[in-house]
Amino acid sequence: METLNHKEVINLLLQLAVMLIMARVFAEVARKFKQPAVVGEILAGIIIGPTILGNFFPGIQEYLFASHSMANIALDGFVQIAVVLLLFIAGLEVELQVVWNQGKNALKIAVASMALPIIAGFVVAFAFPEFLGVNINDRIVASTFFGLAISITALAVVARILMDLDLFKTNTGLLIIASAMIVDILGWIVFSVILSLSESGQEGLGVLPTIGLTLLFTFFMLTLGKGIINKTLPWVNKKLAWPGGLLSLSLAICFLAASFTESIGIHAIFGAFIIGVAFGDSEHLTEKAKEILHQFINNIFAPIFFVSIGLKVNFIESFDLGIVGVVVIVGFLTKYFGAYLGGRFAGIKRAESVMVGFGMSTRGSMDIILGLIALENGLITESLFIGLVILALLSSISSGPLMALARKRS
Amino acid sequence: MFKKIALAFAFSPRMEALLAETRRIVETFDSELYLIHVGQKTDEAEQKITLAMQTNGLSKQSTTLIWKEGKPVRMILEACRENDVDLLVTGALKKEGFLTYYLGSVARKIIRKSHCSVMTLIDPQVKPSKFSKVVINGTQLTITPMVIERGIQFCQKVNTEQVHILNEIKMYGLQMGTAGEDSEEEIANTRRQLVQNEMDYVKNILDNIPHEDLKVNIKVTGGKWAIELAKFCEKIEADLLIVGDGKRLNFFDRIFPHDLEELLSTLPCNLLLIKR
Repeated sequence: METLNHKEVINLLLQLAVMLIMARVFAEVARKFKQPAVVGEILAGIIIGPTILGNFFPGIQEYLFASHSMANIALDGFVQIAVVLLLFIAGLEVELQVVWNQGKNALKIAVASMALPIIAGFVVAFAFPEFLGVNINDRIVASTFFGLAISITALAVVARILMDLDLFKTNTGLLIIASAMIVDILGWIVFSVILSLSESGQEGLGVLPTIGLTLLFTFFMLTLGKGIINKTLPWVNKKLAWPGGLLSLSLAICFLAASFTESIGIHAIFGAFIIGVAFGDSEHLTEKAKEILHQFINNIFAPIFFVSIGLKVNFIESFDLGIVGVVVIVGFLTKYFGAYLGGRFAGIKRAESVMVGFGMSTRGSMDIILGLIALENGLITESLFIGLVILALLSSISSGPLMALARKRS
Repeated sequence: MFKKIALAFAFSPRMEALLAETRRIVETFDSELYLIHVGQKTDEAEQKITLAMQTNGLSKQSTTLIWKEGKPVRMILEACRENDVDLLVTGALKKEGFLTYYLGSVARKIIRKSHCSVMTLIDPQVKPSKFSKVVINGTQLTITPMVIERGIQFCQKVNTEQVHILNEIKMYGLQMGTAGEDSEEEIANTRRQLVQNEMDYVKNILDNIPHEDLKVNIKVTGGKWAIELAKFCEKIEADLLIVGDGKRLNFFDRIFPHDLEELLSTLPCNLLLIKR
């Protein structure tokens, strides 16, 4: 087994230390301004990446992030694990009970809030691929990817906003939470289908087998898989060290599911997400265990991922005002009106539907992961990816105040 | 509270015990009693039930016997509707077999479909014991104020020694996970506030219900309410669990169990399901 040499180990450790320190500093700054930590973490990445540090102190930036290729590969491994764990935690956050309770109304809002951005995003990207920066050779897939990326709601971010506004337990709050959970589930299913379209002519299993396997895997994990987890967890909780046994085994199963979905042609993160849903829905995964998993992943792995975004892209060099403008306007308006119309269609009052619209417009997690996958697969350009990141930042920052304003007016 | 009480019975070894338990409830609430049997009305069957009634001190004058033929669940529920029954008493196994659970036993189907309140007894006794320890579901649902009010009234009638009202913090893990961005003090405050909010919710309901004669304990947990209720009932060895039911459950709810359905696979103790 090849190992890192002395200098590469030092470099890797320095990379991680700088990323975590900067993420923490800027997360704290974000917190002072009552903004979600993810906003600070993305800004931290932009500052220590090629955009700021690379521009003003290129030597330091190069030593830290471009001098040892092996250390960079190791760091990429960390980032991959971070993405998988973020999806695992996203799955844990989904509470099917809340989804069932909110029922059809949540489904209507979720579907409408996804359909409008996906359709509008697809039309815009398909009509102006060169302007927007989507891959003209894979136009349909790239355009759909763009539409999907602007249709996601950040569940953890909106949950925090609702808690701060004391709306979490209200009917509107629970409706937004349930709708965001459905968006997560639908989003990742649509994602794996699109990915199969992209790979159909290449190494994938083909569209229909992939769709079939995706649905089969989802159904299996949420029924029999959950049953197996339910039978196993009491033994784990009772016989093994707590929470050590639970943490290591749940992460191991998460990695197993991720590698399984990757091997059958669906992306690894889909497996991590679905196994997260199955775990989260188990009656034997205590709320305390969920809290520990949340804090372990949110405070160590999530910052590494969100900071890494800024390391990959130069936000000044690839910045295109036209693209950013279109992404922000299309992304924000379609998501807001989609959710708003979904609310009205579900028979919810106008004032509440406005709050639902702003709440569902919260971004800053899964949408960025989707954008990054599209970037890494050559489906979108760096400029478009920057547009998606800025959309995520702006909607995360603005959703809270807009919801507060909507509540005041209602 | 319950003016008309019905017992759905079959000629099983538990019939005597069910009759004894039902008689006690009927006497407590000074109600009319309806005995519902789905099956052919034969001389032998009539003799059996007459004997069982005599053993339990039930006179033919104060008891209405209803004979129905057809599908048990449908006929029992039809009889309840026709006679405006307020409470239907049934026996049930504590745990259903895997297949039976998905196909649905008579008792579980009654719980899922009944329009009136249902009391399900998992271990009826010929010499009924008291409902000493009663747990009421206090989770925040639209029907909860009504369930707590009627639950307290029930406990007063049957002289319960200890009432526990269990409320749960919804999505505690998610809420505390997102609160993890805060300082230690803020996290502790959030945790305290979450618990306090749930306590206040139950207290506010109780403030409008006279309950001075009862020992009432409010407990707050985190997790799914049905599962937390089941665990708590088993832990304290409760005699009765009182829950409300806002909607009818179907097969889909058994595939992805939630809320009340999570209680039905294994009943932790006797169950009183209060309907509007």
